[in-house]
Amino acid sequence: MEIPYTFTARKDTGLFNSKIGIWLFLASEVMLFGGLFSGYVFLRLYADYPWPERALPVLPGLINTFVLIGSSVTVVFAWASLKMRQWGRFQFFMGITIFCAVIFMVLKGLEYNAKWHHQAVRLDDFTILEGHTHKAELDERGHLHIHHEHGAEPTEEEKKRQFPANVVVVEAEEINFTLVRAHDPYVKDILAKAKERGAVPVLADNAFFYGSPKDLPIDAAERKKLEDQLIKSHASGKEAVRFGDKKDSLYIPKDTQLTVDLLDRAEDVYLEARAINGEVRTKVLRKLWKDAREADKEDLPNFKLAEGIQIDPEEHLTGLVAEAPSALTFTFEKPVALHFKRSLIREGEGSSKLKDDTIIKGAVASSPMGLAVDAVDLRWVAQRAHEQGKDPKTVIEGLWIMENPEFKEIWERHSAQLAILTEELKKDGREPTENDKYRIDWQDLVAFHRAHEKHLEPGSPEVADLRPGMFEGITGPNHKIEENQHAFFSIDIPNEKVGFESLFTPKWNNYYAIYFTLTGLHGLHVVGGALVLAYYMFFSKGLYRRNPEWLANRVEIGGLFWHFVDLVWIFLFPILYLM
Amino acid sequence: MSSASEAHASDGHHDDHGDHHHELPFWKKYIFSTDHKMIGIQYGITALLFLAFGFYLMMVMRWSIAYPHEPLPGWMSWFLSDDWKARWLQDGKVTGETYNMFGAMHGTIMVFLGIVPLGFAAFGNFVTPLQIGAIDMAFPKLNMASYWLYLLGGLVMIGSFFVESGAAKSGWTNYSPLAGFADSQIVNQFLAGQTQWLLGMVFLISSSLLGAVNFLTTIINLRARGLTWMRLPFFVWAMLVTGFLLLLAFPPLEVAALMQLMDRTAGSSFFMPSGLYTKTAGLLEASGSGSPLLYQHLFWFLGHPEVYVLLLPAIACVAEIIPTNTRKPLWGYKSMVYAVIVLGFLSFIVWAHHMYLTGMGPVVSNFFQTTTVLISIPSVILLTSMLISLWGGSIRFNQPMLWAAAFIPMFGIGGLTGLPLAFNLVDLHLHDTYYVIGHFHYVVAPGVLFGLFAGIYHWYPKITGRHMSNFLGHLHFWPSLIFMNLLFFPMLVQGMAGFHRRWYNGGDAYLSKASDSVNIFGNTVAEWLWLNPVMSWAAWLLAAAQIPFFINFWTSIWWGKKIKNDNPWDATTLEWSTPTPPPHGNFTYDVNVYRGPYEYSREDHEGDFYPQWEAPKRDEPAEEPAKKPVA
Repeated sequence: MEIPYTFTARKDTGLFNSKIGIWLFLASEVMLFGGLFSGYVFLRLYADYPWPERALPVLPGLINTFVLIGSSVTVVFAWASLKMRQWGRFQFFMGITIFCAVIFMVLKGLEYNAKWHHQAVRLDDFTILEGHTHKAELDERGHLHIHHEHGAEPTEEEKKRQFPANVVVVEAEEINFTLVRAHDPYVKDILAKAKERGAVPVLADNAFFYGSPKDLPIDAAERKKLEDQLIKSHASGKEAVRFGDKKDSLYIPKDTQLTVDLLDRAEDVYLEARAINGEVRTKVLRKLWKDAREADKEDLPNFKLAEGIQIDPEEHLTGLVAEAPSALTFTFEKPVALHFKRSLIREGEGSSKLKDDTIIKGAVASSPMGLAVDAVDLRWVAQRAHEQGKDPKTVIEGLWIMENPEFKEIWERHSAQLAILTEELKKDGREPTENDKYRIDWQDLVAFHRAHEKHLEPGSPEVADLRPGMFEGITGPNHKIEENQHAFFSIDIPNEKVGFESLFTPKWNNYYAIYFTLTGLHGLHVVGGALVLAYYMFFSKGLYRRNPEWLANRVEIGGLFWHFVDLVWIFLFPILYLM
Repeated sequence: MSSASEAHASDGHHDDHGDHHHELPFWKKYIFSTDHKMIGIQYGITALLFLAFGFYLMMVMRWSIAYPHEPLPGWMSWFLSDDWKARWLQDGKVTGETYNMFGAMHGTIMVFLGIVPLGFAAFGNFVTPLQIGAIDMAFPKLNMASYWLYLLGGLVMIGSFFVESGAAKSGWTNYSPLAGFADSQIVNQFLAGQTQWLLGMVFLISSSLLGAVNFLTTIINLRARGLTWMRLPFFVWAMLVTGFLLLLAFPPLEVAALMQLMDRTAGSSFFMPSGLYTKTAGLLEASGSGSPLLYQHLFWFLGHPEVYVLLLPAIACVAEIIPTNTRKPLWGYKSMVYAVIVLGFLSFIVWAHHMYLTGMGPVVSNFFQTTTVLISIPSVILLTSMLISLWGGSIRFNQPMLWAAAFIPMFGIGGLTGLPLAFNLVDLHLHDTYYVIGHFHYVVAPGVLFGLFAGIYHWYPKITGRHMSNFLGHLHFWPSLIFMNLLFFPMLVQGMAGFHRRWYNGGDAYLSKASDSVNIFGNTVAEWLWLNPVMSWAAWLLAAAQIPFFINFWTSIWWGKKIKNDNPWDATTLEWSTPTPPPHGNFTYDVNVYRGPYEYSREDHEGDFYPQWEAPKRDEPAEEPAKKPVA
């Protein structure tokens, strides 16, 4: 059975099937990217923060634009070669097309990678600092030590101990795990960190999990007797033990060491008890309702009945339900310094919380964020000042970051440069933008540093020429260059000053969110398209011998898709990189 | 001269290219099949199962509404594990959280996993290629992929009931920011129900995209010789428009789903406004400045065309069944075709009438009021044409016709109750009440589902070679008709009295409260509370009414009355000219189409129907020729 018009065109429509198919598919793709573009417009129009403008390095984007346009040309050459039945030429041009796709993705990868290592932080006064976090480690006393100096490469040993200086250190005294919610990797992480500091979390108090109502004595005295007996016989072993007729219940003695396995065992019994209790309580409530309805003389509708009588199963449950705690608390002998990534923990007065509801009791130690700053953005400060009817200049003078002498000098140089720029623009009747006024980016910092080295006064007209060009730092500020390391100033931001922090990922703001979504989705299209084209190039010789026209048609629809991918990029490049 | 095989024989053609029937292995024939008919059947059965599951969720919700203080009865909960019940029921009672979960998933399953696959994918797959005289879909392998993606999406959604967070619980519309922070406590977001809903949605959208491309290409390029556009059965036209709706309306939802997925897994704030504070998660720890309104726009840009994706296949089925059983042509075929095209176009510019309460401003609001009122014109043309088609016909009230006849008034009620909602002034009062629920359930349940049941009874003989039982059919139809109305009509009343659509206890909390300035609904709600158990019992009995259908559906395959020939309804469209059941490749003769689709009771022709495939006799006057016969 052969489907008609797979490679010959139908006379009245003039098209073969897959060509109709690809056009329809592309129509749907237009709606897909159209939706995202309209999302971009919506988000940009209604942004309540200064939208990053020209924030991405242009060069990789520009190269990628030409690479994609070039590949769109070669894919047509490849198709034409097939039409002329020149297999070698087809492979050659298709090869170039696929090679272009690889270049595109590699550049994209470099760009992404730079973002994923670039830290941003919004202080509580809305100053925005960008840069790279320093490395840090905990010293013997459990204090955070930040390595500001750019020394030799750390050894393997050191690398293991070190972490980005963007953590919260808690002097943990007690940790409370919710059995159902406790996230194994978190537990393992805490155990490992405690072990490093020579401490072991142990169970705070004896815990009894009655997994079955049968194991739980109704009489309080009897229960105490049972528990005392268990404590007496098993305390020494410090091992959790099963007890009861069918070993449904679990006793964990005080001081048992925390393990993932222990939490799992406790969770099992807890869940068992919860299931039994649910079943029993349902049965009791059903019976109560039956009785109530039988006793009801007036034959009230159900909702009236429920209002009239309070049906509560609680008092009918004696001796019927199991009992198991839903959480376990572990303690340390003396407070142990544990560090957590800032985004994973919600620190509070005396007790902090992880995402899985694990509560860590203990004081929060001094946990500054160590940052080598490569850009300072005060646009949000200025915007808020405008909104509150204040003068941005005076607000900026009073910012916390002004206390930093290095920045103070930078700000002076910046203000002097701005004055020159304002004069220049005035000649054309223009004004500096908010970007010019309140944002100091990494090229500025490098220029100021070079001016400083050359002993140029602030406001010297030559400073503008000292800015690094397009080719220095293709994917953004490079912290590995020595000159840059001197140009980018270091700062320790106290924990309470940090308002919101993130790497340059979708989390930082909606500009980066839409940037990653759009380019990521586009990148997937590039990869998908390249894989299909590669299949034609490498695995379609057989089809070429049997039915070259069919293969040409396939390449044609692949090429149509490729052109669409190119077209999307041509829209993406200006709106994300240039506007 | 009525059956295809006879027609074939008398034509004297012989199909040299006929496919030699090879017996395929079981897994290729029934599971990984690329045959459009088998895929249609797979879609149909899967969709019916999902419909049953969605119905079950609704029955549990109705229990919570009618008897909020009582444990769920055993017949609704015996198959749930103790663990699951302990987690999601409180002393056996449905909690608000569980109700929300069931509500959100009821909507999602019914719309995306039940009715769209049953109407568009099942009927469309089985019938469309047969009606246009094609041997299969244009892309059979894509067709198979489409089904498996759909199943995968469905399984991901169902699977989410068993993860710790439970399934999605932010309504079937999944509005942000509610949907954004729901389940945010889960560390591994890929194991959160809300995230799995989005993943499931991405699979379903991809599936429908493949389906839509396939249908459109097939209809455009694989029509048989002589089958010009205006000779297409109305069913095919409806599928064509539905295909375009799916193709162009679903991508914006995919965008919304992807952006919400980013919000959940990558921490972005596309739909999360600045300074969002919630009781469960505290102050939002994200950048903020997102727009919940953007989500609603993207969602409803799909959401409204989606209504017509649900509806058109049902209208398509009914439009085939009415002429066949009234023995006269479909009245106003051409105006119906134009109406359905206009309907498809207009459905893209009415979406914001779902959002009157968001404060879009009067200008936008007026625009959408106008387009919404405009779209009622093509809908009324469709419905009226079908109504007039009944006039003067000698109607055969067989099973399909019963359902088709009931479809017209039921869908009529659904449509007319929608008119007040088109005006934002009225919508202020009725928004988010049971009136809205009543309105769209009238459209979708007794409306669309009746049309699809009609379709099942109509094409069942072609699929199996046997009729479904008439007795069981009546046992299915009459209770369904009664209980549907008993279930949905009171909703309109309750809605006008101020019942909110998301009360998990059915408004029970209002019982003891006197009305005052804050609580103006206190009295009216208490007055209509008695309707809750009535509607709930109607719902449960409606479920019981589906048992005869279930029995009928599965037993008639083997024990139903055998059909008299390949064209048991004496119909005119091409699917009835194939052997029964149609073999792989469908047609055993060279398909030629000579006339329009509804040539019933022609005075110049003996017998009361003149099939599309029957060649005109020598002495007959020449038919209106097809403009350009295609080789």
